[in-house]
Parts: sequence; structure tokens; C-alpha cells
Amino acid sequence: MSFEPKILGIACNWCTYTGADLAGTTRLHYPQNLRVVRVMCSSRINPSFIFRAFQLGADGVLVGGCHPGDCHYNTGNLYARRRLAVTKKILEFAGLEPERFRVEWISASEGNKFAQVVTEFTAQIKELGPQQKLKIDELLEKI
Amino acid sequence: MSQAITPYLEMSQAIMEAGGEALKKCYQCGTCSGTCPWTPITHFNIRKLVRYGQLGFDGIEEFMWGCSTCKFCVDRCPRGVEIIDIVTAIRNVYSGGGMLPQSLRAFVGSLAARGNPWSGDQAKRNDWAGQKYPLYAPEMEYLFWTCCTVCYDPRNVRIAKTTAALLNETGISWGLPAAEVNCCGESVRKVGDLDLFARLKQKNLDYFQSRNVAKMITVSPHCLATFNKEYGEDYSVVHFTQLLDKKIKEGKIKPKKDFGGIVVTYHDPCYLGRHSGVYDAPRNVLKAIPGLKLMEMERSREQSMCCGGGGGGLWMEKLKGERLSDLRIEEALATGATVLATACPYCITMFEDSVRTLNVDDKITVRDVTELLLESMEINIDESVGDVCATD
Amino acid sequence: MSRIGVFVCHCGHNISQTVRVSELAHFAAGLPDVVVAKDYRFMCSTPGQDMIANDIREHRLDRVIVTACSPLMHEHTFRKVIEKAGLNQYLLTIVNIREQVSWVTDDIEEGTAKAKALLNGAVYRARLLAPLSSRVIDVNSDVMVVGGGIAGIQAALELANTGKKVYLVEKNSTIGGHMAQFDKTFPTLDCSACILTPKMDAVLQHPNITLLTYCEVSEVKGYVGNFDITVRQKARYVNHDKCNACLACTEKCPGKGISGWDEGLIKRKAIHIPFPQAVPQRPVIDRDSCTYFLKGKCRLCEKVCEQKAIDFEQHDSFLNFKVGAVIVATGYDLMDTRPLIQYGYGKYPGVYHALEVERLFNSAGPTSGKVTMRDGKEPQAIAILHCVGSRDKNNYEHCSRVCCMYSLKFAHLFREKTSADVYQLYIDIRAAGKGYEEFYNRIIEEDVKFIRGKGTRVAPSADEPQRLIVEAEDTITGKFVRLPVDMVVLSPAMVPRSDYKEIARLFNLSTDKNGFFMERHPKLAPLATMSEGIFIAGVCQSPKDIPDTVAQANGAAAEALTIVSRQKMELEATTAMVNPASCCGCQNCVRVCPYGAPFFNEQKGVSEINEALCKGCGLCASVCPSSAIIARHFTNEQVLAEMEGLMEF
Repeated sequence: MSFEPKILGIACNWCTYTGADLAGTTRLHYPQNLRVVRVMCSSRINPSFIFRAFQLGADGVLVGGCHPGDCHYNTGNLYARRRLAVTKKILEFAGLEPERFRVEWISASEGNKFAQVVTEFTAQIKELGPQQKLKIDELLEKI
Repeated sequence: MSQAITPYLEMSQAIMEAGGEALKKCYQCGTCSGTCPWTPITHFNIRKLVRYGQLGFDGIEEFMWGCSTCKFCVDRCPRGVEIIDIVTAIRNVYSGGGMLPQSLRAFVGSLAARGNPWSGDQAKRNDWAGQKYPLYAPEMEYLFWTCCTVCYDPRNVRIAKTTAALLNETGISWGLPAAEVNCCGESVRKVGDLDLFARLKQKNLDYFQSRNVAKMITVSPHCLATFNKEYGEDYSVVHFTQLLDKKIKEGKIKPKKDFGGIVVTYHDPCYLGRHSGVYDAPRNVLKAIPGLKLMEMERSREQSMCCGGGGGGLWMEKLKGERLSDLRIEEALATGATVLATACPYCITMFEDSVRTLNVDDKITVRDVTELLLESMEINIDESVGDVCATD
Repeated sequence: MSRIGVFVCHCGHNISQTVRVSELAHFAAGLPDVVVAKDYRFMCSTPGQDMIANDIREHRLDRVIVTACSPLMHEHTFRKVIEKAGLNQYLLTIVNIREQVSWVTDDIEEGTAKAKALLNGAVYRARLLAPLSSRVIDVNSDVMVVGGGIAGIQAALELANTGKKVYLVEKNSTIGGHMAQFDKTFPTLDCSACILTPKMDAVLQHPNITLLTYCEVSEVKGYVGNFDITVRQKARYVNHDKCNACLACTEKCPGKGISGWDEGLIKRKAIHIPFPQAVPQRPVIDRDSCTYFLKGKCRLCEKVCEQKAIDFEQHDSFLNFKVGAVIVATGYDLMDTRPLIQYGYGKYPGVYHALEVERLFNSAGPTSGKVTMRDGKEPQAIAILHCVGSRDKNNYEHCSRVCCMYSLKFAHLFREKTSADVYQLYIDIRAAGKGYEEFYNRIIEEDVKFIRGKGTRVAPSADEPQRLIVEAEDTITGKFVRLPVDMVVLSPAMVPRSDYKEIARLFNLSTDKNGFFMERHPKLAPLATMSEGIFIAGVCQSPKDIPDTVAQANGAAAEALTIVSRQKMELEATTAMVNPASCCGCQNCVRVCPYGAPFFNEQKGVSEINEALCKGCGLCASVCPSSAIIARHFTNEQVLAEMEGLMEF
């Protein structure tokens, strides 16, 4: 059987989660590897969430928020944008392929963009293969 | 005979797969056709071309060669349709089926066999320079990318010479490409032969890589736009007018001779203006010449009218009354100018033809920006370029 | 140990055709702490709801997981269900297996597997949920309406008629807005002033409305039910209490300024009322054109005023209001068409934009309703260009919705008032409204020439000086047309007010990509915004015609009433709180919060959160270096547990 990655999604309630719902309402098909956690705003995402996801064995992490300037909490996603950019750097520093972590701004009306991003990202993660660098089971085995 | 027509969606699909994806976006508002300089004078209709493409209608062949890729419609399109990509894709699909017009066969054949569109001997590419200038070597700053047209076409050879002479004055280090290089491939891409374009491009890329080329100066805006858009991001390419503008501002180039109030109008080549966004550099060069009075035509800059030479138009015969270059000459004459300056070998060729066929060569002369600048610097090139601004 | 009940919905075939629902329920039964797991055809139906309520009682459930459609759909429904059955509503978890599973795949294996993972995550999260109590606050019963156009006027009157006190804020010196500039309204062609001015007057006379013209909101504090709003009263230099509207001042005034009301077509006096039926009938002095303010002497108005109402010493003043709800109805501007050089607006005097033409038709306008152009002549041929800057990715992608109809109205009025030939250059005619298609048919029969093709260029005529040539392709015949005309009318995109960013900032509104204010939900909450207690109406939300604007205004008034008619109200409990034991006092939270909810308690040396202001975004929790801030319902532990559950399968 081919490699089926596990991808964790964290989506803000107002834009990306709603956009994901719209993808469903319009019956757009995309790979089922993504599991989404809903938060109220992308600014709620603590970098430790991302690290924890990789420790738990996520092969990729996709964060979705409102477009910069369109945040339902005005400026939340601007903080998220900066913080997540740094997170990516740290992940890279920790030896993880930076392509495994992606941040996308997807509005409530962009169901097609949501489906497209998930499709692309899943294909990309499949190409990269299983994530072992930060996965805790793997680390324990090594020790 | 039945007048009914059935959509041929496979053809539409083929066009989209060949790069004409934007077909889908068009809502047929007529902005393109109302903007297109050909609509008022020929039966070519760019909107219909897109429409026929959307539904794969028969009869598309009648329209497909009319576009000169001037990009005016693309800039105005309210749907962001990449119309030139559609034209290229349609030509690709149909010329793949052997529908290349006779007039284009010689040019495409020459490109395939000799790497240039002018049936020139590849070994003689640099003959115009007469050993006067060095070939590019990795320690040099710029590769001076001479367009095939300025290497082989007798009128345009002078532009190769004037540009080279000016480059020598700027103090930069530069060299010519080896004779093995090919046409940048712009025109053959626009007539739809994407395979041949890919071959030409690969050979040039091989040459660039072998000599560590990083910076280039082009004579032709067509080469400029193609390198910038189709050759990847490893190259920094400027048009000679941009370099000369900079060098004039730096004081490296100093126009001297006073032109005594000669009225000059400037034609924006489509590939320098709309395709590359360069509007001010050539004007700045002209304005630096003492005693030169620059008059603008009714349609200039972003709204400039095409000469008709792009997209393979240079090699296609057009009937009298269906030539954009003729209309452009009339617009130039209306400004009261005695010199029509421009900065593209294709435009020069088209306008020289029109000036002759319209019998106005006593009223207006067609000059490249470099020819005027060099004259103002009172530098002679080997073969006399002639008194390019003789007016009386 | 918690006792979790899992309820899997089939949603008819919507879920069950790509998720094996009974297998899912069976799977749930084996998960930790799950004491009951069932599947049912329609969980949101009454029998479904009853089943959940019964099981809560029967199995003494303390957590409920409904595995069904999106939480955005039915979270509220099921919260009510469990609350009725005696459970705290925040102990509910929804697993979205319809919009985000069954509808996005056609592979039942994949669908079932993903649903299991999501359900597992939900169980992990549910175990850590805590009951939360909603907050109860007092509600102020007054309303502020911002914007005195037809939307604001309508909303203010509706509210005032219910007995509520309304503050109507208008930045101009008169109310009326764009509608007061029009002459006729489509499709009935009734006179705009005749239907509007009685309403304007009613506002002025209404005992429950406080009219605040020449005013702008400068600060908004507080929250739903308790807004605290500061309004800047701009200096009018006329004491309106003393003025008796004799208007002797406006006759004598030598200062000339551009009349914004008449779209710059004529000049008006420095001391002026914008138009004869202005409400209130009180003049103001425009500093930029007043001779006294420009040159230091004149004061003619002061000399002629018998009431001694002129006051050059007046300054801007600030007024304070406390209200329970706000309606924002700030309207629109027309796009500036000068950058579209192909149309020559601002370059050729024969090119007009739509509002200028409205003023030309208006009997109170600069030409007293006669169609004469800037050169004083009557046009012989007129071209009306639709979709100038709208439906255009290079400018505004949206359709401005009313241009087709007002362009048809213009055609009718031109045909009525002149002998000119009228051309309409259009892409599509959008006549979707009551009586609109009939109006379109009527205009066609009035022999207006329709050219289907977007106007592409306006240029001076080479043959006839003073005339213009309009170029386009008639896409029906494929012919390129050149229309010799005297007058070109542009129908530009309707765009948000130039100060929309400031309004959005003040009221915490989101905007769409064009700058129109975002509604809470495009279909089900079109007048509410993400800011509780702030509602929107009219074109500031998106382009619309007068009937739709009035309908929205009534709707917004009703929405505001649902708040201010209560004395107390509950707020969402998912706010943040500070654990003072771990707060290090760094005040990161105070700096980042867009709502000013966290504040620093100097005495205790820790941050605290004003829960009434908190919207629950969780930003503070994620910037807190010592994890002292807990984002209720989205705590670190809850989110991490859910992730752990998701990644197990």
C-alpha cells in the first residue's frame, strides 16, 4: 500500500474552517489525510502546538487563517503570520523539512482554494515520505 | 448547406492543455476587441478568436494569425485573461496540424536549421563587428545580446554598430555572444512552435551556463521580455535604453551636438513598454540630447499603438490599408515630427517599409534612439551612418 | 472519569453514503469513557434530540459528542438540547463529518477512517472540557445610527417609533445622503425628493431622535449593551440655536467654494446650506473658502445676521453618548475614474460621471434640471458606458448592481429632456428586481440604442471639434464601432467611503477585499457583524438599490431592538482568564489585544482580563510566556488532547 500521510490542520473558525465547510457544501473532493482542529483565531496557535503535532507523528501541518487584513479579530492573524514564520525557521533549524509546515490564508468564500491547498499539500507530503525527525516514538527507539 | 454548428470541445480542451487555460475566464465583454488596434482595420477579431476557442468552433483558422501580441488587450481585460497565451496555444494546436501559413515557413525553417530567422549563416553572426569587439568572457560584466535581426538585416546592422559604439563609451566591460548562440525564440514561441522554442532556449541556456553569464544588455525588447519571462530568474537583463539612461545620469555619456530644435516623436515598442514596463528610459535619453524637441503622439506609453511586427507579423504580408505601421506613421506625422524614434529592430523594419510605401521618406525618417544619441556625441562608426538628422 | 455519550447522525444519505455510520458508533463505544454510542437518521430532528436528552438522564452522561454536520450549522441547536437535559452547554462537542468528511470524498473507506480519527480527537478533548457560565450584563436602551442617508434615516425612524432613543450622526451639514442628490428613482421614476424629504423632516421633528449633523464619531469604547461613544461636533461657526434660517448671510457671502453637493459642477458660497430642502435648515461656514478665514477680514455674514448667530470663535467640541447598540450606515463613494485614462474623465469636459448627471437632471441642481453641458450646449448624442471600474479585475471585481438600472433611467431622462440619440454600451443588463425587467423593456421601446460591448476608449473627434468619439466592439455583430457623441456618461464602480478604514477601526468591523463591511454570515446574518451589538445597513455592506437599502435598514433596526429591548443579556463564556499565580506581569497580553480587554493591575503586579470586552480569540493565551492565560474552551490541554486523538488514527 502506498504511503498515506497524517496531516494535522489547524483552522480559524471564521475563515478557513468556514472555507473548508464551503468546500464540502460545494462537494469539492480532496484527499482525506487532513484532520482539522478548530480554533477561534489563527493567533490562538501557540508554536508548541506545531511541535507537538510533529512529535505525535504528523507528517505535515497545515495552518489556515483569514487573509491578512481580514481577520475577524482585526489584527490576530498578523501576529500569527509573524509567529508562524519564526516557527517555520525553528522547525528548519531542528532539522525538519520546512515543506512539511505550511500556512495559508483561506477566506470563508474560498472553498475551492481550501480543496486545492489540501490536494497540493497532501501530494507534497506524500513525496517527502514519513516524518521521522521529531516523532516521539522514533526518538524513543533511537534512545 | 446546414448552417448549424456543433461545439468541438476536444479542440477547446487541446487549446487549454497547450497553455490556453485562460479561455475559461473570458466573459466576452468585447474589451479586448474594442482595444485591439487591428479590429478597426482588418477582419481579425481577438474576442471571436477566444470565443471560437471556448467552443472549439470550426473556422478559427481564419482568425488565428492576426494577433501581433501587443498586449494592449491583456492589460485592459477586466477578467485578467492571458489572451496572448491563448493565441499562442491556438497557434500551437493548429500549426501542429500543419496549418502554418506559407509566409511563416521560411522563417520557422531558418530558425530550425540555422538558429536565426533571417536565413543567415550562423558562423557570420558577428561579421558586422569586423573583429572590433571581444567575445564575452566570464570576467566581463555584461553580455551584449545582439538580436538576430541586428546581426543580419541590413538596415538593422547599423543599430548593432551604434549600440556597440555607445557601449564602448559607457566604461562598462562587455562582450559579444559567440556565433553559436541562437535566436532568443520569442517570435517562434508566439507563432506557436513551442518545441522549437524550447530547443532554441536550451541551446542558449547551455551557452549562458558555460560562460557564467549573469547580466545582459539587449538591443531588442523582444529578447528582453523573453529572457525576463521565459528564461528563469538567474539572469539580470536590461534594455540598452535603460543602461544609457543610467549612464547619462551618471555623466558617463554626454550628448554634445545641438539638434537645433528638431522635432522628434517616440514610438513605444510593445515589448519594451507594455511587456517590460519601460517607458521613461528611452524618453530620458532623447531629452538629454541638446536641441531635440520631443513631441508625444496621441497614443503613447501604456496606450501606444502596435507597429504590427510582433507575433510573427514581421514575416507576414499585409494588404495596404491593413497595416498598423502605416497608421502609426500618420500619427507620427500629425505631431509635426520629422524623426520617428524608437528602440526596437522590428518596429524599425516595419516603419521603414511604411515610410517608403507611403512615400513620406522626405517628410519623416525612422531612427533608433542609439543612432540619434551617437550622432549627438559626434562619434562616427566605421561605415557612415549618414547624417541621421538631416532635415533641410 | 467522565461519562461520554456519542451520537452519530446519518443525515439521511448525506453522511451515510460515504461514512459507515453504524461502524463509527460501534468504534465510538470502544473509546475511553464512552458509555453510550448510537447512530440515527436525523439527529437534529425532534426524535433525535429527545434520544440525546433521554440518554443524558438515563446514562447520567456528563459529556455529549454529536457526530454530524458542521458546528457552524447546529452547535447552537444541540447546546440547547443538552442544557434542557441539565448539562452545561459547553460540555457539548460537535464532530464535523458532513462538510469536512462525507461531502469531500466518494471513498467510503477513507471517509470512515477519517471520521474515526476526528471522533477519537473529540473524545480526548471532551474529557477535558469544563462547564462555563455565561456572563450577564445590563443593557443600555438607546441606539446610535451612524450615517444620515436613506439607510440611516429609515433605521432611526423605525427605532424611534418603537419608543427607543436614537442618536443619528451625520458628517455633512444635512442628512439625506446620495438619495437627496437624485432627481428620479428607478423603476417607478418617482421624484426622489418627494419621497425622501418627508422622512428627513420626520427625523428632525421626532421627539426620540437626537440629530447630530456635521459630526463624526471619534472614539468607541465599551461593548454590546454598553457602548461609550465620543462624537466630534465640527465647528460650524454658526450658533444653530440662535439662527432662524433667514439665509441673509448666504446671499451676502463673497466666498466661493466647490459644491460637493453638486459634484463640483458649480460653486457655492462659503456660508451655505447644501440644498434648499436641507435638514436642518441651518448654514455652516466652510473654512477653506471663507474670505475671513483665508484673508483675515470680511465677516459680512456677521454684519447681516440679525440673530447674532455667527460665531467665528467656535471650536470643534466633543460629545459623549452611551448606547446599547449601533447601526453603521455610512454609504458609498463613486470610484475616481481619472486613473482610467482611456475614458478621459477630467480631461475632456464632455465626460461626466453618474452623480454629476443626477445633479444635471435635478431641478434643484446647477442647471435647474436642464441637460446642458459644461460648455452650455445641449448634447445631440450621448453614450452611457456601463461597468466602468466594476466587474474588472484591474479595479473592482464586484458588480455595482444599480448601474444598469440607473443607466436605463438616464437614457429615459435624456430622451425626455433632450432630442439626443442615446447609446448604452453594456456587457450584460442586470435587471433583477421588482418591475426592473419591465422598465428595461420600456426603455428599449423608447428607441435607446443598445450596443453590447464594453466601451474601450473616449477620444476627441478628428473631424468635428468639440465632439467625442467612443470606441467599442459591438460584440453582437463583431463590428468595431466609433460613436460620435457630445456627452459621455460613465457609470463607475460603487466603492466604500474613502474613510472606511477609520470607521472599520472605530467599530471593530471586518471588511471584504474591496472595503465593504463584512456581515457575520452572508446568508443567515447579513446585518450583524463580528462585533456584537454593531449592525450594518445599506451600501456600506455592499452595493444595492434603494428598496434593498430600506429593507436592510428596517432589518438592522429590528436587530438592534433585539438587544436594546432587553434589560440584561448573556455573553458567550469562551473568554480568557489569567491565573494570577503564574502571571509574570510582562503585559504582553495588554499590548496585543485588539479589544483592550487585558489590563495591568498595578497593585497586584499581574494582568487581569475584563471579560466583558474579551471576544475569545485566544491571542493573549498564545503570547503569554508563562502560560498564565487560559483561553476557556480552547485551553492548551484541550487543543493538545484533541491533536493527540486525531493523530492516533
